[in-house]
Amino acid sequence: MNVGIMIFMSDAIILFSHGSVLCGAGQNLAELAARMEARGDAAIVDVGYLNYTEPRFPETVRRCVERGAKRIAVVPYFLVAGKFVKEDLPSFVAAAREKYPDVEIRMADAICFHPTLADALLACADRAREPGAWRDTKAQAASYCRASARCPLYGSEDCPATRAAEVVV
Amino acid sequence: MKKAMLVMVHGSPRPIANTDMYSVVDVVRERGLYPVVEVGFMECNEPSIPEAIVRCVEQGAQRVVAVPYFLHTGNHVTDDLPTLLEQAQAQYPNVEFLMADYLGHDPLLADIILERAAQAQVG
Repeated sequence: MNVGIMIFMSDAIILFSHGSVLCGAGQNLAELAARMEARGDAAIVDVGYLNYTEPRFPETVRRCVERGAKRIAVVPYFLVAGKFVKEDLPSFVAAAREKYPDVEIRMADAICFHPTLADALLACADRAREPGAWRDTKAQAASYCRASARCPLYGSEDCPATRAAEVVV
Repeated sequence: MKKAMLVMVHGSPRPIANTDMYSVVDVVRERGLYPVVEVGFMECNEPSIPEAIVRCVEQGAQRVVAVPYFLHTGNHVTDDLPTLLEQAQAQYPNVEFLMADYLGHDPLLADIILERAAQAQVG
């Protein structure tokens, strides 16, 4: 870390993510936030979504403030800082600052480039699996089924809700 | 056994969006653990994933470890990428294809996020 930069000591970190219609797509991020909170990266680590997945970002800010957050760092969980990060997020943050004038809310850079990403790629490669396991992630998504008709699994044999409905019929 | 890493990327209509990814891949090359490291795109950019697989095989790779450069488990990670790799395995039965965990699932992401949070700005 650059010595010249003031370190922001946040009491809450919000991971800002796009959201997905796929059931269970948010599970990994929820687990990541829980792990960060458990290891004390900040008193509160939570996730706020732009679309599709709950909770949406304004709701997450409200939850953090209710838990006592005074200094919130918003980190875009995006590999590339595109429109969602450069336009949508700043407008959300501006609205949150207006709503909670006593809370300091700062925005961080998206993930973009970091040399640790190379280590992460190599670690992922160490966990590579043979063909029989390539679709395990899809099976895990089904295990978080919310019976949403917008989920791409809905109506397929992989969807537990669809299978249950067929039994009833 | 000669190993290749195939980095599978979504692709973007704005090619500049891939700049940081290429920098990360350069660091992977510098680590020197894989004699062959290739990038393949699902959409928009070249080479495609099948084309990148051809490059791996032509450089003598006997094992191709394919890593999804994705943060989330959408249809691409759960379905489309496995399908592409199954097709590659059928095309090259003498090459061993392995599919790695997706980038967003690695615990190291937490360290990057924490560093970003510490550098959060007012603006």
